[in-house]
Amino acid sequence: SEMSKDLLPGPYPRTPEERAAAAKKYNMRVEDYEPYPDDGFGYGDYPKLPDKSLHERDPWYQWDQPDMRHNWGEPMHWDFDMYIRNRVDTSPTPVPWHTMRKHFLVFLSTMLIMFGLGEIYPSYRPVGPKQYPFNDLYLEKGGDPNKEPPVVTHYEI
Amino acid sequence: MAPGPPPTAAEAYRPNRFVSLPAELDPNTFDSSPEKRRVEAERLAIRARLKRQYQLQLNNPNPPAIIEDPALLRWAYARTQNVYPTFRPTPKTSFLGALFAIGPILFWIAVFKTDRDRKENLIQEGKYKRPFSLF
Repeated sequence: SEMSKDLLPGPYPRTPEERAAAAKKYNMRVEDYEPYPDDGFGYGDYPKLPDKSLHERDPWYQWDQPDMRHNWGEPMHWDFDMYIRNRVDTSPTPVPWHTMRKHFLVFLSTMLIMFGLGEIYPSYRPVGPKQYPFNDLYLEKGGDPNKEPPVVTHYEI
Repeated sequence: MAPGPPPTAAEAYRPNRFVSLPAELDPNTFDSSPEKRRVEAERLAIRARLKRQYQLQLNNPNPPAIIEDPALLRWAYARTQNVYPTFRPTPKTSFLGALFAIGPILFWIAVFKTDRDRKENLIQEGKYKRPFSLF
C-alpha cells in the first residue's frame, strides 16, 4: 500500500519512545496502548485490545461503518473478523457461564450414561424367531411345485 | 478457617474469555472520578479528531474514489505481512510448531501403518472378507 513505513505495524516496541510512537500510530492514548507480549508469535507492536465482540458495542451510536460498528481510524482487534456480528458473541449472558456449563455437562453425562447402560443391559419384551406361512415359504424359496412340501409346525401341543 | 464474606455479584458471575461482565455489575462503570473523566475526555478528543478527518473526506465536493481506512490497512498488514518479520523461534513457538505441523503427520503415519498391518495379517491368515467382492 502507499502508506509509509512508520504508519504500518512494525516490531515489538522496546523503549518508551517506541511505545509512544506506536500508540500515536494506532490512534490510541499512550496509557491505553498495550502490545501483545513479546513471545515471538508474530504479533509485533499490534495493540492488545479487550476481547469483546461487536455485539457489545452501542447499536444506537452513529458509527462510521454501522454494520461493522467501527469508526474510521479506530484500531481494530486482531480477531476483528471473528468478533463480527455474524460470528462470535461475547456479550454478557443472563445466566453465568459456569452455571450453564455445569447444567449442560450434567445433562449430557446423564444421557450418555443412561444410553451406555441401555446398550450394556438391553431390556425388551421376549421375542422368538420369525415364523413364515405356507410351509416356511416353500414355493417362494424355489421349491418344486410338483413335490410335496415338508410340513412345518411352529407349535407344540 | 472461617468462611469469608459472600461473593459480590461481579465475582459470582465469573466472566471469562467467552462472556464479559455486564456493565451493571462492573464497579468501574459506577461513579466517575475526575481522573476517569479526564481519560474519557482524551479518548473523546482522539475519536472526534478521527471523525472530523473522515467526515471531511466524505463530504468533499470532489470526493476521492475510495476513502482508505488506515486502521483497516494496518490490521490487514499486521496479520499477513508483519507476522514473518516479527516471528522468533522460542521454546514455546518451536514446541507448538512441532506439535501442530509434525504431530499430525506422525499420528496419521502410525494410524495407517497399524491399520494396514492388521488388514495384511488378516489376509495372510485368510480371515479377511473382501467388502466389494464381485464373487
